[in-house]
Formats: sequence, C-alpha cells, structure tokens
Amino acid sequence: MSFTDISTTELLAPVPQPGEELPVQLGISPYRLAFRRLRRKPLALVAGAFFVAIVVCCLCAPLYARYVAHTGPDENHISETVVVDGHRHDVVSLIGIPIGPTWHSRFLLGADFNGRDVAVRLLYGGRNSLEIGFCAMAITMVVAILVALFAGYYRGWVDSVLVRLLDVIWAYPAILLGVAIGTSLTLGGISLGPVKLSSGSLFIPALIIGFVNIPYVAKPIRGQVIALREKEFVDAARTLDAGGLRIMFTEILPNLSSTIVVFVPLMIANSILLEAGLSYLGAGVQPPNPSWGTMISDGVTLITSSPHLVLAPGLMLVLTVLSINIFGEGIRDALDPRATTRIKRK
Amino acid sequence: MKRLITAKSWWPLLAAALLLLAGVAAVAAHASTAHQGATTSVTVDTSSPPNSLDPQSGYTVSAGEADWLAYTPLLTYAHKSGVAGTQVIPGIAMALPTITDGGKTYTLTLRAGLKYSDGTPVVAGDVKFAIQRALKLNWGASSFLMPIVGAQAFLDGKSTSITGITTNDAKRTVTFKLTSPVGDFSNVLAFPATSPVSQKTPLTVQTTTMPPGVGPYMLENVVPNSSYELVKNPLFASFHIPGIPLGHIDEIKFQIVSNNLTEAEDVLDNRVDAFDVGDAVPATLLQQIQKQASDRFAKETVASTSYFFLNQRIPPFNNVLAREAAAYSIDRSDLARLAGGFVSPSCYFIPVGIVGHPTVPCAYPSPNIAKARALLKQAHLMGAPVSVYAEAKSPGQEEGQYYASALKQAGFDPTVKLVDPAIYWTTIGNVKTKAQTGMGGQFLDFPAPDDFLLLIDARNIHPTHSNNFGNVDDKWIQSQLVKLEAVPSSKLSTIAKQWAAVDEYQAKKAYTIVWGSAELVKFFSDRIDFSSAVFQPLFFNDYSTWQLKS
Repeated sequence: MSFTDISTTELLAPVPQPGEELPVQLGISPYRLAFRRLRRKPLALVAGAFFVAIVVCCLCAPLYARYVAHTGPDENHISETVVVDGHRHDVVSLIGIPIGPTWHSRFLLGADFNGRDVAVRLLYGGRNSLEIGFCAMAITMVVAILVALFAGYYRGWVDSVLVRLLDVIWAYPAILLGVAIGTSLTLGGISLGPVKLSSGSLFIPALIIGFVNIPYVAKPIRGQVIALREKEFVDAARTLDAGGLRIMFTEILPNLSSTIVVFVPLMIANSILLEAGLSYLGAGVQPPNPSWGTMISDGVTLITSSPHLVLAPGLMLVLTVLSINIFGEGIRDALDPRATTRIKRK
Repeated sequence: MKRLITAKSWWPLLAAALLLLAGVAAVAAHASTAHQGATTSVTVDTSSPPNSLDPQSGYTVSAGEADWLAYTPLLTYAHKSGVAGTQVIPGIAMALPTITDGGKTYTLTLRAGLKYSDGTPVVAGDVKFAIQRALKLNWGASSFLMPIVGAQAFLDGKSTSITGITTNDAKRTVTFKLTSPVGDFSNVLAFPATSPVSQKTPLTVQTTTMPPGVGPYMLENVVPNSSYELVKNPLFASFHIPGIPLGHIDEIKFQIVSNNLTEAEDVLDNRVDAFDVGDAVPATLLQQIQKQASDRFAKETVASTSYFFLNQRIPPFNNVLAREAAAYSIDRSDLARLAGGFVSPSCYFIPVGIVGHPTVPCAYPSPNIAKARALLKQAHLMGAPVSVYAEAKSPGQEEGQYYASALKQAGFDPTVKLVDPAIYWTTIGNVKTKAQTGMGGQFLDFPAPDDFLLLIDARNIHPTHSNNFGNVDDKWIQSQLVKLEAVPSSKLSTIAKQWAAVDEYQAKKAYTIVWGSAELVKFFSDRIDFSSAVFQPLFFNDYSTWQLKS
C-alpha cells in the first residue's frame, strides 16, 4: 500500500491512548485490490464478458447444430435446396457458388463450397480454436515457468543452457517454426513410445504453438526470478535450510503470480492468432475439422463471389482476439502496483 | 576574366543537351523494341507444375504438353484437334513400324540427318538408352514397356541392357521384340518418354538442365517449381518431318503460380496469355469469364477419369466392407457440382468414348449413408482413422474435403492431408507414404482402355513413382489385362465387352471409387489467335500451332 492509498480520514484518526486496545485493521488482499481496480474499467469488463459469451456460444455448438441448424459441421449439402423468403435456392449453384447468409435458422451465415452450414462450422471452429488457444497457453505457461524458475534460480550452467535453448527457438520466426514443425507432424502424427497422436489430433497444433511461444514468456519471468532470488525472504528461507525446489515453488513462484496472470490472456490471444495462421497455411488444424484459420483458407478461392466465407471467421477471430487483449490490458493495469487508478478505502 | 558562358546562355545549352539525350534514349528504346519485335513470346500461367520435365520422368499433363514438343519419339500423334489428333504418325522414324512375328516384332528406321538441339547427331542406340533410362527412373507408365523382352531382367538388375531392343547405328534401325503381342505398342512408342536422348545423359532425373532432344522446341531456363521455357529449336526445320509444325511463337514462358484464381484473373485481364489446361477455372470467376471473354474461352471434352484410390494393402481398405462403405458414402452429382460443372458423373474407369466403356448401372449407386454405416459396423471398423490425400489447390482440396466429410458421415475418422501439387503424385506414389485413400486422375495417353486400367495394373506397383496408388493386385484382372492387351488396336472393338467386364469387376470389388470424367478449358488472352490454336486430344494445348493475332 502506498502513501497515497491512505485517506485523510485515517490520517486524522485519534491516536490510541496507552493501554487502549488498537482497533483491528482488516487488510485488503492484492487480488481484491486488483479486482476493485478492474471494476473501474468498464471497457475491460465488457470485453471480458464478450469473450465469455463467445466461449459459451462455441461450447453450445452441438446444441445449435442439432436444434437450430439441423446439420453437423461436416455434413455436405451440395445438391440440396433451401427455401428463403418463399423462394427455393440451391445451397451450391451449378457452377459451384455457395449460398450467402439466409438470416434464417438453416444456413444463417450461408454455406461453404461443400454446402456445409457456415454458422455451425463457425461455432465448432471457434471451439477448436479456443481449445487450442487454451491448451497452447497452458503448455507455454507451465514449461516457461519451469524453465524460468530453474534458469533464474540456479543461474550458472543451468541458466546458460536453458537460455541458449530459448534463444534457438527465438531465433526462428514463430510462424515459420510453426509451419516447419506443423507440416511434418500433421503429415505423420506423433509416435513417442506409448504416446501416440494421430495427425488429425488438435493436440498437435496446440503443442506446436505452445512450444514456439515458450521464450516469449520464459525470458521475462526469468528476469523476475533473478531479481527475486536476491530478496531477503529468499535469504531467510535459505537460512532455514529450505532446498532449492522448495524456495522456487513456495517462495518465488507465489511472487510471480501477478506476472503470470497478466501473461495468460495475452498468450491465449497469441495462440489463437498463431493457430489461425498455421491452419491457414495448412500446418494447424487439419480439414475437415473446422477452425477459423482453415475456414478463412477455404474461403479465399471464392472471396469475390462469396465473401461471407472469409468475413464470418475473420470477424470472429478479430473480435475474440480484441476482447481478450482489452480484458488482458485491464488485468495488467489492475495488477500493476504503479497503476494510476487509486482505490478509496472506506 | 570574362566568362565564356553566362548564366543566361547556360540554360538553353542544358536544355539542348537534355533533348539530345532524350533523343538518343528514344532511338535506343526503339532499337530495343525493334529487336524484341523479332522475337515473339507468350506467357502461360500454371498452378499445376509438371512432376518433372525430364522426358524419361515426366508424366503429368503439364509435363506431357512441354515434353511432346521438345522430345519427338519414333512415332507421334497428328497435331490436330478431335479424333484426328489420336492418329499415330511417324515422328523421328521414317515410317510407321513394320510389325512381324505375329505382332511380337516391331522394326523402325530413324530419319537421316537427325540432330539434337545442341547439334549432336542422333543414333539408333539412343532410343534404347532412353527406354532403359525411363525404366531406371521409374517413369509413371513404365508398365507399358514391360512387354519388351528383357525389360524385367534389366529392371531387376539381372542384365545391363534390354535384350529385346536391338539397334543398328549405321542403318539407323531399331527393333523391338516383345514377349507377347501388344495391340497398342505403336502408341507406347509415341510417348515422349521413349524419345531418344544422348547416351551421355545421367541416369538420374534432371531438374534444371534438360537433355537436348529432337523437337520443334527445346526446354530452357528450368527453375523447378517456379518457371520454365519452351524456346524454338533452330535445327528442327532442317529435318523436314511432315505433320509436325515448326511453331510460330519463339518463346513460350511458363510461370508457376500459387493458385488458379490469380491465374484466371491474369488471363482475363490479359496480363498473361494462357490459362493452363490442367487447372480448374475458379467458380468465382467462371460467369465473369464466360461473359467478358466468351471469344477466347471454351470447354473441351477429353477422355479422363477422376477417382478415389483405396489402398488395398493397409487397413481399413484392405477390407472389402470398408471399401464398399466408402463407395456408398459419396454422391457423384455433388462432386460434379463442386467442380463447377467441369465434371460429368461417372462410375467406371474407362470413360465415355473409349472402347470398353461399361454401360451397366453403377455397382454402388450413391449415396447410401445408412448402408455405408451398416457395412462399417459389420466390419468392426467404425471410427477407423483414414488419411485422405488431396492436392493443395482448388478444386482438389475442396474435393478432398468433400470426400473426407462423406467418409466421416459413413463412420470413418478422416483427416485431409493436402499435399503441394508439385509433389502430390510422387508422394502418393511412394509406398512409404502409406496413403490410405485420396484423389487420383488420369487423362488419355492414347485411345485404348488399357491406358486407364493401368492404374489398377499390378505391374505398375513400384516402391516409388507408382501409378497404382491403391496397390490393386488382382489375379483375374492381371490375367485379363495380359490377354486383352495382345489384341491389335485395329481389332479393339471386337473385345470391347471383355474390357468392360474388367472395369465392371474392379468397380464391384470397390478397388477404386470412380466419380467423374473432367472437362478442360481453352482460355487465352486477346493476343493469341484462338481459332487457329489446336486443342490436341492427348496433349491438349498444342503450343506449336499457337499464333499471335496479326
């Protein structure tokens, strides 16, 4: 708590007399303080709520497919027709042009070249994109935190080796590294002893994205660990014979939590974007599985006649990433102790 | 000291100097234009790069188009549109072969004075070398060469040359001895792969510098997966080979583009002179092209087969029930619509117009998803993972996705593997890839049914560059192929029913899922004389007949 956080009322409070019992001052936890700060950022809250709404909608994809659109994400309807405003239309015309948005329950956002419902695929694709985004973020965070803790705490050769490894990954542009690994893995799948992942598994792009993002998180956290290991509370733990692992996980890690919390939404947004990029280039989610990236890629050839094929997933991608970023920005501001926002204590 | 040039008088001098410079530049530019005017050049966009331009390795549409003009074989085809274009005519041989020994011996004599484009004289032994080279390089249709005596032993490394080919350089004769009569062996001798190349040519696939050949054009400036050029061969005119045009345009430049949308836009806007015949016109531009460029756009019907191969050697398609389920899952009319009307639905390998085309109804009238699921359940293969291979370009990727979605509805667990068009055929033709199923296609090499059934001929299974992608190896089919191939092409109509029976048998066994027969397009810029350009039925765009409008 900084000096400015103390209100005038508190400064002018009567000084207790000797023998008088001091009133119990209830402390305010940093997270509660951060939450209070966040509440004062309506844009961040709206963005957060919007993101939650997107997640909920995507999770409800099977319900929408079954009860509203009456078709699955992979069902072809090329030769079928649909009635819109009393007129019968081909789902895909004789020259291969799909129908645009009908604004009705069937083909709400139109169909793709295979006569598949774009709205259904958009929701299923969002589910896949978010699943990969969260999964990749988890992989990045876990590995990056471990690497940062070991490198920053032990220093010496451990630090040198780990930092050089991070440099090697960092030396490649993320998208190129992702394409290189993705192309090889998506063609053959992964088979490491008992661990077998088929080439269509969503875990493969998640693993690739999680891997290429590690240095972006590990390096700044390592810097913080280096600073924290010199602090008095770490020295105190050492004098109490606490081992390295114990100090890292019980003393240093809790002090990294605010940084980690700030990184989470950023990494989700980055991962979703990278997934879209990789899928667009054919190295991410493998068709016929939808993802926003593959949907954009599929729609490019028909962009002039059927722009909805690119616009719908593109817009969803932009809105999702934008909402996470604004929400993440809000969290960062709320957790930052040097934030200009001040909480007025009662 | 008095200045010789005052500030006032300096400006007119500078202006005069600039004018002089501009004049010199204009003259130079005019000279350059005049020089360029002597060389006519056109550019063709393609998003289907050739698998190889090496004559003994190239087998795709774009490879055939270029190699046909750069490498004239002993026999060749008339440079004419329609059925007339399927007529075999002498190429570098003086006449059609003399067939003796009950159809087992073919003798030909080379024309006198032939030279490769680099000036090296052509000798009869070069023909034998070229055929041996084609076998060594696993040329895509090498099964057609296997009836030559000693070809198998040569391929197996048991002999250093093909004993069934004898040549006499002095007399310029080449004699082929066959193990059994082959009705269309003359057509085999008309493949560019059998055209002679110098015996100094390495026994490896050439990627940048193509071996010199005998033809109206020569291949130059080959940059793999980027560009290549057909440049007029100055020596060819002196050979006076009847029926082979010398070519009107000096340079035909091919540039490989990433997608056919760009390609179509380039031609529509006259930035590029021709759309590659092997590419599909994007649906999004079709109406605009038909409206704006109706005088330079035409659909051309060719004999072709589009199909899905099913790998018989590995699960799940080593199980007939799984193959039947896959066959029941697709809707041919859907696929035809997906191709923008450039495909006619079909379910047999031998296409309409070729002797032996079956007329009986399809073995698996599609779609029947309920039956497909029941079959898969019966085979205990529900949820079986399947990799669907398709070319990473339109319409291959859309067709691959359609097929994968259909398989998913039938109960499989498919994943589409989109492969770059430049390496697609070699990828699926490599046994190590273990491609379970995917897109296949065949355009007419010569008007005979065995040209299509070669795709299920066990003799075409190779470790690499295999053409029998599904590894179909059926004893009855093999026995029939050997028997029917022996009938001379002139008597083909007498065995039409037997050929049809082979095709119906393979369809019933669901060895492949044939779904259509494609149409191609002739689409040029305003610069090219559309009417005089021949659309050859076997090699398609005949660049040697192209002319610029006067």
